[in-house]
Amino acid sequence: MNTDDLIAQLSSDVPPVRRHVVGRRIAVGLLAGALVSGAFVVMAMGVRPDIGKAMHGFAFWMKWSYTISLAIAALTMTAQLARPDSGRLRWLWLMAIPVLLLAGLGVFELVRTPPAQWLAMWLGQSWMTCPWRVLALAMPIFIGLLWSFRRLAPTRLRAAGAAAGLAAGAFAATVYCIHCPEVSAIFVLTWYSLGILLAALVGALLGPRLLRW
Amino acid sequence: MRADEDELRGLMISGLDGNAGDHAALLRLLVPILRGYYRRRASGGDDEIEDLVQETLIAVHTRRVTYDRNRAFTGWLFAIARYKMIDNFRRGRRLQPIDGLEDELVADGFEESSSARIDVDDLLGTLPDKQARMIRATRIEGLSIAEAAAAGGLGESDVKISVHRGIKALITRIQGGGR
Repeated sequence: MNTDDLIAQLSSDVPPVRRHVVGRRIAVGLLAGALVSGAFVVMAMGVRPDIGKAMHGFAFWMKWSYTISLAIAALTMTAQLARPDSGRLRWLWLMAIPVLLLAGLGVFELVRTPPAQWLAMWLGQSWMTCPWRVLALAMPIFIGLLWSFRRLAPTRLRAAGAAAGLAAGAFAATVYCIHCPEVSAIFVLTWYSLGILLAALVGALLGPRLLRW
Repeated sequence: MRADEDELRGLMISGLDGNAGDHAALLRLLVPILRGYYRRRASGGDDEIEDLVQETLIAVHTRRVTYDRNRAFTGWLFAIARYKMIDNFRRGRRLQPIDGLEDELVADGFEESSSARIDVDDLLGTLPDKQARMIRATRIEGLSIAEAAAAGGLGESDVKISVHRGIKALITRIQGGGR
């Protein structure tokens, strides 16, 4: 096709673009995926029976603060990498804050617990399944974010994939909290983070393939 | 005469507000800019270059929501142009890079480049703003002198002088071990 004709054709469809469309589109993809993950937790895994009581306790909010702050940091990076001129990732270091805070809590916990119970506290009841469940719950959210990216323009595909995977993992962990009864900081720091990192790894592996445009 | 950053940016923003005429005007102005950009970097027939130009115009159109009104338009445009060119090389189309494909690909490696970029940013931060911007445009983003001049709204000789003085100052600083 002749370039002038192409321009005429493209210019026949110029809807106004609202501000913050990138952020909104990412939010829609994320929430749509999270609904699927949430439904899966409710139906297949079951909401923890003591959820009402747990929501008045410290452990529940410690877990949510950790996963939600990681999710926010990862989403900020995802939104940045969704633009072609993404530039430097200035806020990457913010991710370290929730990790360090949780690690600090973990140390505090260990000090207050007799060493004989450390292993039980670290492994909890569900260390074998926790990371895999977080990873599985991340997949619908990751797919939602892939949908978001269909109109966006990432140019660093591996980094964008990793950021999207990380966001999906952290948000999946947030959803998983309504099922998971674990209470110790070192459990969350290890096994939740492992699941979240696995999701980021999947994102980094698939990014270059799935995010091309 | 080539369109400059302010003009292109104005048309882009007007297009984002739904003005189809300005959007068309923008795309028409981009054609010679993109042709020049690709001819300088890829060897291939006019047809292949034109395919790439068209692909980029389509991308500029379909991905226009990703333009941030507060940032430079040419930065956004050339990021898309560069991405489309690398994608084209990777798919093994008939276009061949003239030289420096490795440079283009290496710039994709995110960790190395981001840590290197931090050093570069620190160094460039010690220079006057104009010198830093022009070094960034010509030596890091890989624009030609003419493109950088258009993007910065400067004369070409001004760009050359800024880059030259800036690099000289950097050399002095590095050799002197910094301030």
